[in-house]
Order: sequence, then C-alpha cells, then structure tokens
Amino acid sequence: MSTSPTMMPTPQKPIVLTCHDIERSFGGLKALKGVSLNVHEGEIFGLVGPNGSGKTTLVNVVTGFYPPNQGTITLFGENITHIEPHQIARRGIARTFQNLALFKGMSVLDNILIGRHIHMHPSALGSFFYWWGAQKEELANRRIVEEIIEFMQLQDIRDEPVEAVPLGLQKRVELARALVAEPRFLILDEPMAGMNQEEKEYIARFILDAREERGVTILIIEHHMDVVTAICDRIVVLSYGEIIAEGEPRQAISQPQVIKAYIGERAAQRQMKGAAI
Amino acid sequence: MFYRRAGIRHTRYEDERQLFPLTFDRVLIIAILVLLLSAPFWVERLYLVGYMVPWLIWSGAALGLNLLMGGAGQIHLGYGAVIGIGAYTSVHLVRFGVPLELAMIAGGLMSALIGSIFGAAALRVKGIYLAMATLAMQYIVDFFTQTKIISGGSLATLQVPPVSFLGISLKGDVATYYFCFGVTFLIALYMLNIRRTSFGRALAAVREKDYAAQILGVSTYRYKLLAFWVSSFIGGVVGSVLAVAYLRAISPDQFHLELSVQLLAMVIVGGLGSVLGPFLGAALILFAPIVLNNALGAAASAFGTDIPIDLRAHMPLLAYGLMIVLFLLYEPLGLAKIYDNFRKYLLVWPFRHAQK
Repeated sequence: MSTSPTMMPTPQKPIVLTCHDIERSFGGLKALKGVSLNVHEGEIFGLVGPNGSGKTTLVNVVTGFYPPNQGTITLFGENITHIEPHQIARRGIARTFQNLALFKGMSVLDNILIGRHIHMHPSALGSFFYWWGAQKEELANRRIVEEIIEFMQLQDIRDEPVEAVPLGLQKRVELARALVAEPRFLILDEPMAGMNQEEKEYIARFILDAREERGVTILIIEHHMDVVTAICDRIVVLSYGEIIAEGEPRQAISQPQVIKAYIGERAAQRQMKGAAI
Repeated sequence: MFYRRAGIRHTRYEDERQLFPLTFDRVLIIAILVLLLSAPFWVERLYLVGYMVPWLIWSGAALGLNLLMGGAGQIHLGYGAVIGIGAYTSVHLVRFGVPLELAMIAGGLMSALIGSIFGAAALRVKGIYLAMATLAMQYIVDFFTQTKIISGGSLATLQVPPVSFLGISLKGDVATYYFCFGVTFLIALYMLNIRRTSFGRALAAVREKDYAAQILGVSTYRYKLLAFWVSSFIGGVVGSVLAVAYLRAISPDQFHLELSVQLLAMVIVGGLGSVLGPFLGAALILFAPIVLNNALGAAASAFGTDIPIDLRAHMPLLAYGLMIVLFLLYEPLGLAKIYDNFRKYLLVWPFRHAQK
C-alpha cells in the first residue's frame, strides 16, 4: 500500500464512510479482497480501476445490496454492515446506477418526486382522503423538488415521459432524483458513461455545485481520467478486488502498478522507458 | 383540437396536480358523470339492471385488480377467489343481522387478510411463479368455499336477505344502481388519487425496478404486501356489492377460475395501470359476446342460413380469445392506450410533428 506524503489535504475533517477489510466473493470469484478505505466529509472521492476490478461491487456492498462476507462498513459512526438497502437510504446515502435505473412510464417530475420518499409518509388511507390527507405533504415536497429541478436545469422536460428524453438528460434526472433525498453522502456510479464532452462538463459542474451548495460528500466511480483528475480530491485505484494505489489523483494514476493494471506489463515498461528518456 | 392546452397557465402546484388539469377533460368527465347519474331516467329498467349494474361492479373489481397488476406489477390469477371471500363473508354476516355497511368492510378485511397471506409469496417469487402461487390460492379457496360450513355444498346457493345501505333499501332497481355507482365511483377516485401521491409512486417504483426503489428508501416487501392488501380489500368490498346488489343468491361456482380469467382479460384489454382501462375492458368483455351473438343471429336470418345453435354459443368465446391475442400483439396497453393516443393526437392537432 502506497503512502504518499500529499495524500490528504484535509486530515482533520470527520470521517463519513469507513470500509474496513471488506471481502466479498461470488461463488469461487473473489470480487473484493480486503478493501479498506476512509472517505472524509466534503470530499469528492474517486474510485477508479479497470473493468471488473470490483468498483461497482464495492458500492453495492456499501449500499447493502451485497452484504460483505467479511469486514465492516461504518457510515457517520454507525455500523451499517448488514442493513437492508431501504434502511441505508434513511441514513443519508443516495446513489445513482451505472445503467440508468429510472422508472419508465412516469414523467420526469414523478421520477424525481420518488426521491423524496424517505421524507414523506405514504399511506393507502392518505391517498384515499387525498384532499384532507396526502395533498399538503405532496405540495410541500413539490417545492423542494422544484428547487432541484432548477438547480439541475431540467425545467423544460419536467412533464416529459422519462423514457422520451435523451440519455444525457436521463443521467441528469437520475442525479436529481438522488439529490432531492437531501443525502449527506452521494455515490455516483459512472455518471458520465456514454456522454459527449459538453454533457460531461455539465455533469462535472453539477457535481462540484452539489458539494459547494449542498455540502454533500461524494464517492464517484469514473473511467474518464480527465474528469477524475479535475474534480476528485483523492482517489483509490482498484484492480482484481485489491487497492493498488491511493492518494492525490494525478500521483495515484501515474504510479507504475496502475499503468500496468490498465495497459499491461509490456506496454507499461515501454511507457516508463519513454518517460525516462 | 378539442383538448386545448394553449392558454392554460397553472400558477399553483395544486392546480397543476389536480385530477384533470385540462378544461376539456373536466367537461368530458362531468358530462359522463351526468349521463351515468341520470341513467335510471333514460335507460330501460331491463338494461339498467342487466347491463349497467354488472358493468359498474365488474369495473370496480377490475380497478382493484389493476392496482395490483398495473400499479405494482404483481400478477394475480386468483382474484375471483378474493371476490368470493368478500362475498361469502359479507353475506353470512348480513344473514346474521349485521348491517350491510359493516358487512362490506368485514368482507373487505377478510379478503385483504387471506389475499395478503397468499400475496406473501410475492416476496419470494416473481412473474410466472407468482402466477402459480396465486393460482394455488384460487384452488385452495375454491376447495374451502365448497364445504358445507361456508356455502352449504358445491351446488348449494345462499340467499341474500333484503338489505339496506345507509337507511335506503336496496330492493329497488334504481337504489341498487346508485349504490353500485357510488362504490365504483369511490374506487375510481381512489385509483386516480393513488397515482398522484407518494403511495402510488412507491408502488410504481417497485413495479419498474425494485433495486432502484430499495435504495430510494422504498421497502419492496412492505409495498408488495400493501399492494396485495389494498387490492384484495377492494376485491372483497366489490364481492359483497356483487352478492347483495346483483347476484342476490351466491353459489361457489360463481367465483371460480373463470371469473379470475375474465377479470384478468378486462384489465389487459382495458389497459394495465390505467384508471379508464378497467371501465372499457369490462364493457368489452361483458358486452362483446352479447353483441357478437346478436350480430351473428341477425346475419344468419338476413342471409337465410341456419347457424347451428352450439356454434352460435361458441362463436363469442372464439372472438373473445382472438381479441385478447390481438391486444397483446398490437396494443399491450389496451383500449385506454388507444384512447390516449387519440387524445394526444388531438392535443397537438394539426401539428403532427409535435406528437410525443
């Protein structure tokens, strides 16, 4: 494990998420082999690594979809290792998915409104007596949703069916849905996959704004190294379920073992030689 | 064209979230309600009792099933049994002298309880496996309703004594009609309200992607069970209405698999997840065989050919099967979707390119 001197710019900030010695296997495949990491408050923490290195598995372990075989996860000082995903959501985590997980057949607005679920009190009777029951709560939450819609600049597609808007906007809708839950910790699984340069820049701006204006701590999985080096404070590089490098993004991704994991041993040697000359 | 959106500017969220934000929709729904409310004055008694009342009752039942299938995405092949439980519970209570209002609620609760026990299978299995679990419910409930203690035997009928609702006797045709109208109206209003509240959104989230629903804080267990509970409650209430207002004498064979399949067809042909759908579906499934039969008879006498009586009896069933196949192939979202397409076309007419 590398320990670079400039690893943490803000060591005094409280810890949001701690993963301690996480192991998870699927049958004979060990997807995570003892991963440990800390995410500090206010950080944008990058999780990078080649395909199949266990990034999404780690996120699924943290959010309760795959309980770990070994190890503990601590969120805001509370052990959440074997808690169901829907209960984890109530502890201040929101996430987006690598392959969009929006609800088809509903409008963009309704999709974002679902994000308010943990702040509302849905009941069958409240819906029956709408005018005396659910209406007040619906309208109050609508105001918060409209704030986020404005923040994410989704005003003009609010009433569109969600499957009818382009992919770049769907990703933005999903981010909006995660943000309306007012999370303290946000996990983004490849928010920029399949996007063009302009859309990527938009999303990067939204991520930075979310931290500045809403004080959200962010864990982001991303393959675009330009984005990672531009917005992340710290990163961890995974390969075959192990951490092979961590620290300041530019330093971490230029380490030889990282280059090797990405482009193979011989190509890495060639590149190192080139750098030496 | 008629459905003008131009010039409608909502300035408050409650205006925008009202059930029918467009003026034309509101006018249309009021016109339909006026027509239905005045039906006893312009529809012949025979048609009122023979067609309108069953249409309203079956629409109510299909609405309940549609909440489960279209709203929460859980298939149910034993909804006829759910209705049967409600019918038998309330009829027994009414025969004991319990007022109808209470008996209806008790019937609903009994259906909800037993329906949720079988619905608990949905926590473990999905799709065709859930279909099998609910089919098992149909047969198990059938077995119990055939026992002497519940129905008096598989061929026995149970008479419903004369009842009154909120002090009004349901002996007359008109009172019965208004009673059925009121119940179905409330169910439809409930379904419309569910769609615009967090409860309905949570159900839809479970229907579309349960893992994404989980991380938003929606407990899929809780909402699947709730969907079974509410839907079965509605089924039970409709069952008691069916027994006291239409059948007036119930026997076990009225709640067999055939009823479940018929309701399933109403929901699918009408339109999954729509509130209008069950009304259209119920109308089609109930009346298409009658219309077809009459048309066939008229055609036969017009051309002077003799259609064998058994063929005449079976033709409507043939057409009924064909209809379901065609709907599944060409418009899986049913009649309600056809209406919706037409409405959307008119919304932007004459600018076709703006169509969504």
